[in-house]
Amino acid sequence: MHKKDLGLAILIIAVGTVVYLRNPLFLSPINLGNTANLIGLFGLFAIGQGFVIMTGGIDLSVGSVIALLGVVFVDMVGKFGVPWPLAVLIIILLGAIIGLGHGLLITRFKMQPFVVTLCGLLIYRGIARGYTAESTAGFPFGASFPDLEWLTIGRSFGVPHSFVAMIVVAIVMWMVLHQSVFGRHLYAVGKNEEAARFSGIRTDAVTISAYVICSVLAAIAAIYFAMFTKSVQPSSHGNFYELYAIAAAVLGGFSLRGGEGSIIGVVLGAVLLQELQNLVNLLGIPSSLNFAVMGTVILLGVMADQQFSAFRARKSAAQAMNLLQKDEARM
Amino acid sequence: MSVLELKNISKNYGAIQALNGVSLTVEPGEVVGLMGDNGAGKSTLVKVIAGNFAPSSGEVLISGQTVNFHKPLDAQRAGIEVVYQDLAICNNLSAASNVFLGREPTRQFGPFQIVDYKHMQNRAVELFARLKSETRPRDLVKRMSGGQRQAVAIARALLTDARIVLMDEPTAAISVRQVAEVLNLIRQLSEQGIAVVLISHRMPDVFEVADKVIVLRRGQLVASKNASDSSPEEVTGLITGAIEAA
Ligand SMILES: Nc1ncnc2c1ncn2[C@@H]1O[C@H](COP(=O)(O)OP(=O)(O)OP(=O)(O)O)[C@@H](O)[C@H]1O
Ligand SMILES: [Mg+2]
Repeated sequence: MHKKDLGLAILIIAVGTVVYLRNPLFLSPINLGNTANLIGLFGLFAIGQGFVIMTGGIDLSVGSVIALLGVVFVDMVGKFGVPWPLAVLIIILLGAIIGLGHGLLITRFKMQPFVVTLCGLLIYRGIARGYTAESTAGFPFGASFPDLEWLTIGRSFGVPHSFVAMIVVAIVMWMVLHQSVFGRHLYAVGKNEEAARFSGIRTDAVTISAYVICSVLAAIAAIYFAMFTKSVQPSSHGNFYELYAIAAAVLGGFSLRGGEGSIIGVVLGAVLLQELQNLVNLLGIPSSLNFAVMGTVILLGVMADQQFSAFRARKSAAQAMNLLQKDEARM
Repeated sequence: MSVLELKNISKNYGAIQALNGVSLTVEPGEVVGLMGDNGAGKSTLVKVIAGNFAPSSGEVLISGQTVNFHKPLDAQRAGIEVVYQDLAICNNLSAASNVFLGREPTRQFGPFQIVDYKHMQNRAVELFARLKSETRPRDLVKRMSGGQRQAVAIARALLTDARIVLMDEPTAAISVRQVAEVLNLIRQLSEQGIAVVLISHRMPDVFEVADKVIVLRRGQLVASKNASDSSPEEVTGLITGAIEAA
């Protein structure tokens, strides 16, 4: 575990302790279960965003992807009777295609990630609203899909399966980012694309893969969200979710300049964000202030982290100077 | 046999003639100092040899075989490594990760191929020892001195059993102490039979390590001779044009 991750974990525990002391309901099984569910849902796509941010890019389309694919999924399963495993596969495939599109536009057409995915945000939201003619997509009354429901909104020993899914994804993605060759290359491409290219790395392929991973995880999250809300309101479903993902990654130590971050970090970032939401609810802070609280904490967190890093850098520079001076004195 | 031979290499960028009929040879283990004023065509020559782009005309031979590089990887496969002017290494990675960048060793882990960090570590220790450098494999490159960063870049060359290492201004941005370190690295490479082409504006550095000096002026080769038969004064004259050719 990195120092940064450890600091974040401590912050989470500290905030939790304060909330618990003010309102013991914080640690009640019901509250923990609900919060874990939300952490699972938001963590799923925050991890994907992490991969994109690692390349120095950004994906603003996540919330719209969750809305569009949510609508499509609900309609496929609820209205057209597509067997759900097939529908899940189709959704994941659609996610991959969306990510591939973003990646190709960014690498082959040299467009800026912000622009490409901002247009994605508008386009996918627009399609979702147009396709449904602004009406809410929902399952027909009485329809039930026991296996699908067990997988998505079921619980084992009180642990929501969305949370379990997020943990499984996090473990797989931890392997990918921290243990695989692709992960090494991702760090390299994010920090110094030219150096990576000179080292024989196919940097475009690496970047495209990151966008595919991001959109595929958004697609999986879309299914979980659709099952959780049971109906998808095309104009509001998933609004601002990309910002939650970016916030989780930034809190988790990712640099928007690329090349920095860890899976544990982004997962802890997602945990802290939901803990803050929970804090707002439990401490009776008006929920209209929700975003303000979140924004303030992120700002303070990032500021503290940078001050701390700068302090450490100064300290090690001073040490190096000392060594050098001693060296020269000997010479 | 010469490990590298250039025959009549020319390269133009549109109307700019960056290289004009350059011919030269490099022997195994030889250290060649490549000198010339700003814009003389040194970097262009290195890029042609490294496969960044093809020459407009002329022939490149590696160990007597004509080669046609289309991309840097082709040159790399033929045993040519480049240490770039602005150091193509990643600051956020460890020394070992940088040495192995683009050719990470893997091992089987269940159904996965994962990076073999231990092997990377051990090989890196070995390579740095061969270079007699004190670089520690686990250290992040961003915390390293210029000399150590050079060691990282040069260790990459050893890793692939390169036969030719091209260095573009390796001593440009580092302190005097570190220059000595880099010159030592170059000697180590040469002792292992690896040819080094060193581009530098620093005359004393070149004369300290080079077996041969080559001077380019406005894209043309104006001298190629043993360092011991030349002198900094002569080379300066050749670079500026005060001496026509030697
Ligand atoms: N990509 C390019 N496009 C157009 N012209 C170029 C390009 N690269 C170099 N040149 C021109 O080619 C000539 C040779 O440049 P080159 O970079 O090889 O010189 P150099 O000897 O390495 O100089 P320096 O000592 O400044 O590094 C110069 O006139 C330069 O302006
Ligand atoms: Mg140059």
